[in-house]
Amino acid sequence: MRMAQADRVTAVVLLMLGLAMLAGGWTMERLEFRRIHPASIPGLVPMILGGLLALCAVLLWHSARPDAAGRTTARQTAPFLTGGSWSRLALTAALAVVYAIGLIGWLPFTAATFAFVFAFAAVFSWPGGAGRWRAQIKTLLSALVLGVCVAFGTALLFEHLFLVRLP
Amino acid sequence: MTALADLWGALGLLMTPSLLFNAAWATLLGIIVGSLPGLTATMGVALMTTLTYSLDSTTAILVLICMYVGAIYGGSRSAILLNIPGTPASAATSLDGYPLAKAGRAGYAMGLATTGSALGTLVGIVMLVLIAPPLAEAALNFGSFEFFWLAVFGIIISGQLTADTTPLKGYIAGILGLMVAMIGSEGIHAHVRFAFGVPDLYAGIALIPAMVGAFGFAEVLTAMWNRGGELATTKDKSDRTLPRLLDLWRYKVTIIRSGIIGTFVGIIPGVGEDIGAWASYAAARKTSKEADQFGKGSYEGLMAAETGNSAVVPGSLIPAITLAVPGSSSSAVLIAALFIHGIRPGPLIMIEQPQFISLISAMLIVATLFMLIFGLTLTRAFVQVLRVPYAYLMPVVFVLCVIGTFALSQRMFDITVMVAFGLVGFVLRQMKYPMAPLVLGIILGALLDKSLRRGLTLSDGDLMPFFTRPVSAVFVVVIVTSILLNIPAVRRAALAPLRYLGRKRDA
Repeated sequence: MRMAQADRVTAVVLLMLGLAMLAGGWTMERLEFRRIHPASIPGLVPMILGGLLALCAVLLWHSARPDAAGRTTARQTAPFLTGGSWSRLALTAALAVVYAIGLIGWLPFTAATFAFVFAFAAVFSWPGGAGRWRAQIKTLLSALVLGVCVAFGTALLFEHLFLVRLP
Repeated sequence: MTALADLWGALGLLMTPSLLFNAAWATLLGIIVGSLPGLTATMGVALMTTLTYSLDSTTAILVLICMYVGAIYGGSRSAILLNIPGTPASAATSLDGYPLAKAGRAGYAMGLATTGSALGTLVGIVMLVLIAPPLAEAALNFGSFEFFWLAVFGIIISGQLTADTTPLKGYIAGILGLMVAMIGSEGIHAHVRFAFGVPDLYAGIALIPAMVGAFGFAEVLTAMWNRGGELATTKDKSDRTLPRLLDLWRYKVTIIRSGIIGTFVGIIPGVGEDIGAWASYAAARKTSKEADQFGKGSYEGLMAAETGNSAVVPGSLIPAITLAVPGSSSSAVLIAALFIHGIRPGPLIMIEQPQFISLISAMLIVATLFMLIFGLTLTRAFVQVLRVPYAYLMPVVFVLCVIGTFALSQRMFDITVMVAFGLVGFVLRQMKYPMAPLVLGIILGALLDKSLRRGLTLSDGDLMPFFTRPVSAVFVVVIVTSILLNIPAVRRAALAPLRYLGRKRDA
C-alpha cells in the first residue's frame, strides 16, 4: 500500500470521527437548568475540535491526490507498512494482547507472566529446520529460565521492594 | 549570586549516600534503556515513574531525572555502534558516529559523545537557572486568555516541528490528543463527556497508560517489525575513549552554540531532543570550516548533535516546571510524576516551593556527573548490552509496561487503554504521525478547554480579550504566522525579500 492510499482511508475515518465529535458536542447537555453562562457549555471545545479535525481530514484527502497534471510526489508514493516483518508483528501483537487482556486477571500474575515470556522468547528465537533438536532444546531451556526469572523476579521486585500492587 | 548559592545548597542536600546510590543506578539504567534501540527515554521515564510511587518525592524525582539524562545520552551508543539511534534523539549522532566506528574509532566517538552530552546538559542547566525564575514570575500574570493561547501554541508548534512529512499530520495528531482529553468529567461543571455509560471512562484517560502504550508497547511492536542493524566491531589500535582537550577547545564555539540551540528547542512545547540535535547539527554544518567532513565521521558534527540533544533535557524542564507545559514527551511524563509526588508545577512553583528549580538543577548536575563517569568507563560493557536479542528483551519490556500501567490506580481498564494506544500508536507512527503532539494534546486538553470557557465567561462571551491583551496578541501573531508559512505561496512571498538580499550579497 502507498502512503497516498493510506492517507485517503485515514481521511475518511478522521472525517467521520470529526463529524461525530461535532455532533456529540452540539447535542451535549447545555446545563441550562444550572444557569451556567452559555459560553461555558461543556460541548463547546468538542464542537471546535470536531470541526477542526473534519477540516484537517478534507485537507489530508486533498494532499493525497495527484496534482492537476497527474503528477505524484515522493511523499504520496512512499511505501506504507513495508520493509518489516508482518509475521513478527502479528505474533508480537497477538501474544501481547492475549497476555495483557486475556491472561492477566484470569491467571495469577506470575503464571500469566511466565506463560507470556516463555512463549515470546521461544517463538522468536526458535531455530527452524529439521534435525536441529539440540538447538531447539537449548532455546526451550533458555526461554524457560527467562520466563521463571522474569515472572518471579518482577513479582519480588515490585511487590516487596517497590511496594507496588500487581494485577 | 542567590541562584548560585541556592544551587550549591541543593547540591549539598543531594550528597547523601542513599541519594547518590539511587542516582547512580538510575543513570546507569537510563543509559542502558537509551542504548537499546526500541526503548526510548520517554518510555524509560514512564516505566520508572511506576517504580517511584513508594519513594519520597526528592528520591523519586532524582531517579526520574537521572533516567531521563541517562537515556538521552545512552541513545548515542547504538547510533555509533549499530547506525540505529537508540532513541530518536540520537538520529543525527549516527551520521558521523557510525562512520567513525566503521573506521575503528568507536571508542573516541563514544568519548566525544559523552563529553558533548555532559557539556550540553551543563549549558542547559545554566539556562534553566537563569530563565526559569523570571519565566515563572512572568507567567503569574497569565490569565485564562493567555493560557488558552499557550496551549494552542504548544500544539501548533509541536505539530509543525515534529511532523516527519507534512505539518498537517502533526496538527491532526495534536487534535486527536485534545479529543482524548475531552473524555470524562470536565473541569468547570464536572459534566461527564463521551463516557458512553462506561464508568471507567468517567475519570477520563490517564496520561501514564496512554504514554506507556504510545511509547512502550508501540515501540515493542516497531522493534519486532523492523530488522536489526549491523554492529560495528572494527577496532583501531590508536583508539581511546578519553577525548583530547585540544579537540574540545577547538569546538568550543560549536559546543556553546549547540547547547544554547538545544535549550531553546527544549523550551518550545512538545518539541523534543531529536529536533534539538538536528537544529544544532544543521547550524554547525552551516558555519563549519570542515563542512565537507559532515556525514563522513566529523568530530564537530558528532559533538554538535550530542550537545544539542542533551541540552534539550534542562531546556524542556523550563516550561514544564514554570508553566506545566512539557517541552518534550519525556518531560510530559515528568509533569505527571511531579503531581503524583505532591509537587504542583506551574507559575506558582516559585511561591510554593522557591527552592525547587535549584533542586532540579542540582539533580541534573548529579545525573550529568554519573553519566560522564559511566560513559567514559563502561564503553565495552555497553557493547555487550547491544548484543541482547530482542526475543529476550521485548517480553520483559512489555511485562514492565503492564505492571507500570496497572500500578498507577490498580485498574485493569488502564491496561486495555495501554494496549489500545500501543496498537493505534504503531499504525499512526507507520503513517508518519508524530507522537509528541498527541501526548501534548492529552496533557494540555484540560488547560485549553477550561481556559477558553473560563475566559469567555469572564468576558461575557466577548472574543476580543483573546486578541487584544498584549501576551495573547503575541501568541496569536506567532500562531497565525507559523500556520500561514506552511502555504507555499505565502512562504514564497514572505521569503522573497530575504532571497533578494541574499542574491544582492552574492553579487
